[in-house]
Amino acid sequence: MKKLLISAAIVAGASFGMQGQANAACGEFQMSDMNWPSATLMANVDKIILEEGYGCKIELIPGATTATFATMNEKGEPHVAAELWTNAVSVELEKAMDEGRLHSAVRGPITELGEGWWVTPGTLKRHPEFKTVLDILERPDLFPDKEDPSKGAFIGCPAGWGCQLSNQQLFKAFEMEKKGWVLVDPGSQAGLDASMAKAAQRDENWLGYYWSPTAPVGKYEMALMDFGVPFAGAENWDGCIAVGPEKCADPKPSAWTESVVQTIVTPEIKAMSDVMNYFGNRIYPGPIMNGMLVYMEENQATGPDAALEFLEKHEDIWTKWVSGDVASKVKKSL
Amino acid sequence: MLEFLTEFPDMSRRDLRDFKLAIDGAFRDFSRANGEAIEGFFDPLLWFLIWLEKLLVATPWPFILIIVAGLAYLGSRSWKLAIGSMLSFALIGYFGMWEDTMSTIALISVATLLCVAIGMPLGIWMAKSDRVQSVITPILDVMQTIPIFVYLLPVLMLLGIGKVPGLIAVCVYAMPPMVRLTNLGIRLVDKDVLEAANAFGANDKQKLFGVQIPLALPNIFAGINQTIMMALAMVVIASMIGVRGLGIPVLQAIQNQYLALGFMNGLAIVGLAIIFDRVSQKYGKRLQEHRGGHDHG
Repeated sequence: MKKLLISAAIVAGASFGMQGQANAACGEFQMSDMNWPSATLMANVDKIILEEGYGCKIELIPGATTATFATMNEKGEPHVAAELWTNAVSVELEKAMDEGRLHSAVRGPITELGEGWWVTPGTLKRHPEFKTVLDILERPDLFPDKEDPSKGAFIGCPAGWGCQLSNQQLFKAFEMEKKGWVLVDPGSQAGLDASMAKAAQRDENWLGYYWSPTAPVGKYEMALMDFGVPFAGAENWDGCIAVGPEKCADPKPSAWTESVVQTIVTPEIKAMSDVMNYFGNRIYPGPIMNGMLVYMEENQATGPDAALEFLEKHEDIWTKWVSGDVASKVKKSL
Repeated sequence: MLEFLTEFPDMSRRDLRDFKLAIDGAFRDFSRANGEAIEGFFDPLLWFLIWLEKLLVATPWPFILIIVAGLAYLGSRSWKLAIGSMLSFALIGYFGMWEDTMSTIALISVATLLCVAIGMPLGIWMAKSDRVQSVITPILDVMQTIPIFVYLLPVLMLLGIGKVPGLIAVCVYAMPPMVRLTNLGIRLVDKDVLEAANAFGANDKQKLFGVQIPLALPNIFAGINQTIMMALAMVVIASMIGVRGLGIPVLQAIQNQYLALGFMNGLAIVGLAIIFDRVSQKYGKRLQEHRGGHDHG
């Protein structure tokens, strides 16, 4: 009899929870666990917060950008992509959004992300007068090229990458050759990383192309430089800078095109207002994310490990994304 | 107990992490303290390489074609080979790969010189002493099999990207055959010949330069030939750490599936390889015939 009462109470409690709490809105769904560190960290943090705080049941599905986008677009699964770099799929995404198949839950889930030209922290400390790329371009003598020390070295993007063309065009647009610079091709990501790491470790000046969020940017506290000119329009970027010097001869100086990163969800998720609220608030400050990537690299941490580390170490950040009630539930589960 | 048998008793993750961080940290400190001095040590090599590359690029192309044909003829004494070499260079130039090819030739020439200059004395030393051989052989094995970026990372941290690390990468991989074949060649010299040399009262130096090295020349040339071949095989890897040359377009082609670009530059590397190979082989053979004829005559 006692047993029956208890189980009845459990059933009642459970069904009450189902109806009264977030569970009513949140069922089982799939999230994409993308194959680079920041995306897997975000997916795992979402999983913990949504499961513990909102009572969802989440399955993580591994995948890369294009494949994940394609299945979301065609089949509506997985239901959430936490960090989708949408420049690569912008046309299809726009169509899917117009037709209501996909929705953006937040634009820019990580701040200060994207591509651009970076310098080592020592460069800025020694030369506080460097406010923009334009200031730096006047001083090639501070960034001597190893093979021709009379020139300044600008480390571009590895041979064959899409960004190689953009960097070649910007090099031309800013008339860097005339100003005494050479464009150094690092040959591979290993070459680019090593060149940056060497300069940062030895506290030398370094100007080159990189992108964030990445562990090296966090590890060496690289500084993203403002170009000192505004973004000169999509026509100049997509029609000239991105296609390279062979197809367009007169690129105009421009800031780097904005890398659009969004959390993309299917209509099922859009219907859950509290989950959507969470996604809308969930914005990682860039330096914190880069710090987490350094942690992951140094400890060879997997996504779930890193998510726990983040929730433990950075309570001040994630508790602002959710209500006090949800925050205490998540905290209790850690 | 069973768990002990199924789970390897490995180092705890924390210790392993600390171990790795300690090594990386020690290397970072070493690089900060000595990096500039080490860079300075390699500077003459860099200047030489830059000088040679500039010279090759600045030399008018007809001269280069004539020099190529002339060298090929001098090496092989074969008109066919000389004309073939000239034609392949002309084709390379026609397809717009002239400058990259000159950069690559500069790198390969300096790398080969360096490998011979270091490898030959090492090989001779190895041939003189079994103990030295037993130490150097495993080192050569490591040099030939260790994944390239494993040793390149510390080199890049010390020297940055560019020509010198590229040269080091090429030499680490291309030098072992030079050492091995020099060693082999000298060890294979007939004992009777050496005894005869002894009987004539030759000292060690005379024996080495008058008897052993000349008789080992065919093997030594096979070593140089192998070194050149392996150096050319490393051109693409060298480009991955910022060395200009035929490797850069190959990388570009691989990233973007540009079939034509890949084949053109790949075949240019093959063309260089075949020219170097045939000429050096013919030269080695000629040397041997000449030597043989002389000895018996």
